[in-house]
Amino acid sequence: MSNTSVAKKNPVGSFFSAVGNVFKDIGVIFVQGDWRTKISYLIMGFGQIMRGQFLRGGMYLSIEVLFIWFMTSFGSKYFSKLGTLGTIETYKKNRKTVYGDHSFLILLFGLLALFFIIFLLFCWYKNIKDNQKEELILKSGKKLPGSKADFLSLFDSNFDKTLLALPVTGVFAFTVLPIVFMICVAFTNYDATHQAPTKLFTWVGFENFKNMFSFGTGGFGRTFGGVLLWTLVWALLATFIDYFLGIAVAILINKKGIKFKKFWRTCLVMTIAVPQFVSLLYVSKLFDSAGIINGTLMKWGIIDSAIPFWTDPLLAKVTIVVVNIWIGIPYLMLMATGLLMNIPADLYESASIDGATPWQMFRHITMPYMLFVTGPYLLTSYTGNLNNFNVIYLLTGGAPKSMSYTGGAGATDLLVTWLYKMTINDTDYKMAAVIGIMVFIVTAVISLSVYRMLPSVKDEEGFQ
Amino acid sequence: MKKKLVSVLLAAAMSTSLLVGCGEEAAQTVQETAETVQETAQETTEAVQETAEAVQETAEEITDYGTGEIKIWVADAVVDFTNKQVADFIAANPQFAGYTVTVEAVGEGDAASNMITDVTAGADIYGFAQDQTARLVAAGALEEVAPENVDAIKSQNAAGAVVAATVGDTLYSYPMTADNGYFLYYDKSVVTDPSTLEGILEQCEAAGKNFYMDLTGWYQVAFFFGTGCTLTYDSDNDGNFTGCNVDYDSDKGLVALNEMIEVAGSKAFQPGSSAGDAVNYAAIIDGTWDASTVKDFLGDNYACAKLPTFTGSDGATYQMSGFNGCKLLGVKPQEDENKLAVCDALALYLTSKDVQLARYNEVGWGPSNLEAQADDAVKADEALSALSEQFAFTVPQGQYPGDYWTNAEALAGDVQNGLQGASEDDVKAALKDFQEKIAAAR
Repeated sequence: MSNTSVAKKNPVGSFFSAVGNVFKDIGVIFVQGDWRTKISYLIMGFGQIMRGQFLRGGMYLSIEVLFIWFMTSFGSKYFSKLGTLGTIETYKKNRKTVYGDHSFLILLFGLLALFFIIFLLFCWYKNIKDNQKEELILKSGKKLPGSKADFLSLFDSNFDKTLLALPVTGVFAFTVLPIVFMICVAFTNYDATHQAPTKLFTWVGFENFKNMFSFGTGGFGRTFGGVLLWTLVWALLATFIDYFLGIAVAILINKKGIKFKKFWRTCLVMTIAVPQFVSLLYVSKLFDSAGIINGTLMKWGIIDSAIPFWTDPLLAKVTIVVVNIWIGIPYLMLMATGLLMNIPADLYESASIDGATPWQMFRHITMPYMLFVTGPYLLTSYTGNLNNFNVIYLLTGGAPKSMSYTGGAGATDLLVTWLYKMTINDTDYKMAAVIGIMVFIVTAVISLSVYRMLPSVKDEEGFQ
Repeated sequence: MKKKLVSVLLAAAMSTSLLVGCGEEAAQTVQETAETVQETAQETTEAVQETAEAVQETAEEITDYGTGEIKIWVADAVVDFTNKQVADFIAANPQFAGYTVTVEAVGEGDAASNMITDVTAGADIYGFAQDQTARLVAAGALEEVAPENVDAIKSQNAAGAVVAATVGDTLYSYPMTADNGYFLYYDKSVVTDPSTLEGILEQCEAAGKNFYMDLTGWYQVAFFFGTGCTLTYDSDNDGNFTGCNVDYDSDKGLVALNEMIEVAGSKAFQPGSSAGDAVNYAAIIDGTWDASTVKDFLGDNYACAKLPTFTGSDGATYQMSGFNGCKLLGVKPQEDENKLAVCDALALYLTSKDVQLARYNEVGWGPSNLEAQADDAVKADEALSALSEQFAFTVPQGQYPGDYWTNAEALAGDVQNGLQGASEDDVKAALKDFQEKIAAAR
């Protein structure tokens, strides 16, 4: 009982008490258990097999065998070097190259081994608990389920485990391990001059984070601040300008008396039909200082010298936002068209009977409804725009560059495009990993805090 | 989106590294067993070497080079050519017949970055541009040239090409071409006198045509070196940079930067050095690789010249300078000494005088070999002769760290924006800042 009350008050405390319970269990079961249980502490699955549960016991045993095989043949060699990421340098023997430790593989397989160890400990604990459970069942005079019943339960009471086994393994191998790997890289000096397999890299603690927030010469602080600010402003502008203009266009086209509605919609939707990779590169050329827009204006004598659409920092930002409106409106228009038709007509009727003006109806009926329904969409769209790689990279590639920014960043770079350039052009993996972590923190903080404030989350039944 | 991107990238990195890991391990075990055999074989050859040269030749013929696979990366344009040359080479050297050689089309820029990203999966022999040398050496992707070939390569190739292939005092790669430089292409009907920059800009402006010049790291030295500034980096034999010699923050540097700002301020000016992307131009500063593109665009008005002179803010006249450099062929460090010997021989053959000349005839790459350069056909090439005229004013491109290129690109951005119409003090401050940054680059 005391446990549950602690859990409500203090999650950290409850975690430690849970850990304490685990150790207590391990000790108590060992003391109270019979000899089969005691041997199971060393040979996993022994107790189960002795009690006739061959499938279950065999599984535990095979996990242990697999683990021992993995560690002796492969894992321990990498795991033992995880602390240093390798010490043997590559050297030359006559003209032949003898490669030393491969820091990259040590980090990767070392982490894999670490996860395997954690998995084994978990299985070991389950194995002990299993033994205890079986002893209790036998003591109470009941019979244990046989191997066949165990197997069949995988399609019945344990069907969830069968279904989730593959997805969980996949998520671990392709999402969790890479993310943990990337986070670890942020704490190493893995960059162009520490390239595996020829050179070793090693742990440097918080050095890279210090560099990211240092404002001296060569420090990334000023650049990071500038890029982060533009990233946030961009996401705000890109999301909300598109949103309101999209709704406006939808209302406009829906209005009675507008002819050729389908034609207008088709025109707008055409931008979706052409892949962004094509249309954005084309638009980028269009606004180039020698592009068709500047060229035509100059030929007509309207301007004297080219408008620096992509080379002036402020104008480049404005141009990007404008181009993004052109791409973004059609999606919002389609969505808003559907939603607007869903607003109960009686709301408008009663409003007009009360003498409300169209603007009042828009402000007090249409907008609250739209915001309520599209709140989660706005949030995902905002976080999506924080990382809107395509638009920025294809339009400007982050340019114009300036000496006030370090690390190859430009005035229109988002954190992601900067990260990309750092990885691909400068092979500066350590700083790119730090930026990756920063992107995660920014995205997570914004989404979580905004999500809690959304009307559709706070008040689920607001518009029923 | 970002999570996806990163995880996809990492997954890709992981899976390649897994593959690499497996391949490497297998290779290692094979190699370890072969190692002892090899060593004894090598000791005998060494002993033979010491006795006499004539004997050594016969010993070499006897040496069993074993079998293996050699992967070559060259630019798309020369894949067929290289295949043909490799076939000739194997036919002429039956002792290497155990090796299968595959030639893949990987452009010079991609080759360098692919090699740096993953040395073990990279090609055994690959072509690259000289600005990548230091990076490749630092990443352990370049094997030193075999000591017995060093002197011959140094004496037979243009001095600039040798400098480009050298890091510290070690020769790391085989010069293949010496046409990596830039000069002026212009439209005869618009630009009547290509000798001064002011004249060219004026005539382009008057005709409403564009003048293309890139102001990033590789091209901006045309101004800085032109006024007499210097910029070199010291590096050790492992490709690490140890020092920087720069005097940009001076009166000479100021003249150069002012001129860059003035040029960028012209309404005819367009940043860029890729003729394929350029439009409506009457003059472009570009290299020989774009010769056919420019020729197609300008037609009968096609003309080439060395870079023009300019009148600086101090009233004096300066000749624009620049880098000269080359394409190189590199050999990856090998875990098998026999394979390395084959790779060395093949790389040497592919950069020999005859092959360089044949390459020029086939795809028009200007040779770095001095004898090949003296060939009549090479001398008659309009673009190449403009380039060689310009080479008299240029500086052989040594090794420059990545930070230099990054900062120079940033300066190019400022020249076109922030520094336009800036006061002299601001320009001086920018120059000082630039020098500090590139001096700290390693």
